[in-house]
Parts: sequence; structure tokens; C-alpha cells
Amino acid sequence: MTYLWIKAFHLAAVMTWIGGMLVVSVFLAALALPGPRGDREMRLIKVVRTWDAAVTTPAMLIVWVLGLVMALQAGWFSAPWLWVKLVIVVTLSAVHGIESGTLRRLADDPSRPPPAFLRLAAPGVVAAVVAIAILAITKPL
Amino acid sequence: MPGDHADQRRAEYVQLRRMRLVSLVEGTTLVVLMGIAVPLKHLMGYPTATAVMGPIHGVAFLIYVWMVINTVSGGDWSRGEIVRLIVAAFVPFGAFLNARFLKRREDALAVPAGQVGGMRS
Repeated sequence: MTYLWIKAFHLAAVMTWIGGMLVVSVFLAALALPGPRGDREMRLIKVVRTWDAAVTTPAMLIVWVLGLVMALQAGWFSAPWLWVKLVIVVTLSAVHGIESGTLRRLADDPSRPPPAFLRLAAPGVVAAVVAIAILAITKPL
Repeated sequence: MPGDHADQRRAEYVQLRRMRLVSLVEGTTLVVLMGIAVPLKHLMGYPTATAVMGPIHGVAFLIYVWMVINTVSGGDWSRGEIVRLIVAAFVPFGAFLNARFLKRREDALAVPAGQVGGMRS
């Protein structure tokens, strides 16, 4: 029963985290369009930053902690599928860290473009989520 | 817009303070793991110590690495400074030296309290 509660909150946190990451990824891709940013865009950066700090980042921490608890409880650390999943999750976390730092940096400079590789972040996040879902549900390895 | 620049300095200052706190937590959990939990397991046959401290340090380490990525993505950091931040996480007591380095950067960013609404509380 405890396991099911942990799993429920883990999945809720995953959806919140990934939803927040997709918003930031698409927003940064839009900010990469040529031309200086106006007041409206600069205000939007503040709003997205606030959401990221208050909701998306705590959700990511909850994902890590509850995921770790579930893996320890179920004894999955010897399973290869979990390690593949962990590599993907750590990569997603790193991309989120870069995006979050980039938002902080862009808030001060209306002409600074986001790093070019972040334009691929949104499709990358979707691909990662598909891979994670397959690994976690079918446990193929 | 001077107000925005002050806000940005404040955001960077707050980020460095958080980074320093996370660095100290990560360093402390590493010292407790290596200095107390591991000897308890191997010398006194008490494996629960590492079973508890291992995951706690693991999460603290992940948070630290995430904070390094986040901090350097949002500011001007040289390659050497980034390497220093990462290496510190693997060395016992490295985090405490790191904290002094981060404090120096914080002090360089600190501005008079009146300009940004009492930043140095």
C-alpha cells in the first residue's frame, strides 16, 4: 500500500516536472528568434522563472527522492533497465539545470540569445519521456 | 533599467548563497558517510549506518551537481572555476573550501542594502 502511495506521488511529480520543462523549453526556443526582446517578453521571463523555481524544481527533487525510495524498496538497483533510466533522468535534470540558469541570465539582458542547443530541448524531453515510460513499464532489460 | 540590474545582482547573490548552503550540506553528508557510517559498518558490524547515510548523501550529491550546472549556466564562470566546483564534491572537506570560494564571490556581488531592499539580512 505504501508503495502505491509513493508511486502515485512520484508520477504526479514527474508530470509536474516534465510539464514545467516543456514550458521552459518551448519558451526558450521562442526567445531564440532574432530581434531584441521587449518589456512583455522580459516580464514573461520573470513569470516563467518564478514558476520554475517554485514548482518545477521542487517537483524534480520529489521525483528523485521518491524514485530512489521506490528503487530501494523494490531492490531494482541490480536491474539494467533502472540504470538506463537513471542516465536519462540525470540528463533531463542537467538540461533542466541549464534551462533554469539560462532563464536567470536572460532576465538581465534583452539581447542575449539562449544557447543554440536548447532549441532541441523540447523534442529531446519528449523522446526522453517516451524512453523512460517504456523502460519503467516493460522493464525490458 | 537600473532596477532590473539590481534585481539581477540580487538573484545571482541569492543563487550563490544557496549554492554555498548546498555545498556545505553535501560536504557534511560525505564526511558523515566516510567518517562515521563506513567505520560503523566495517569495524562494528552496523550496516544500517551506511544504508541510511548512503542514499542521503546520494541525493545531496545530485542536488549539488544540479546546483553547479544551474549556477554556472546563469553566470560568468571560467572553466577552471567550474572544474573546481565539481572536483570539490568528490573530496572530503573539499566542499568546505568551496564554501569560502563561493563566499568571496558573494561578497563581490554584495551591494549596499538600501539599493536592493536589504539583501544582506
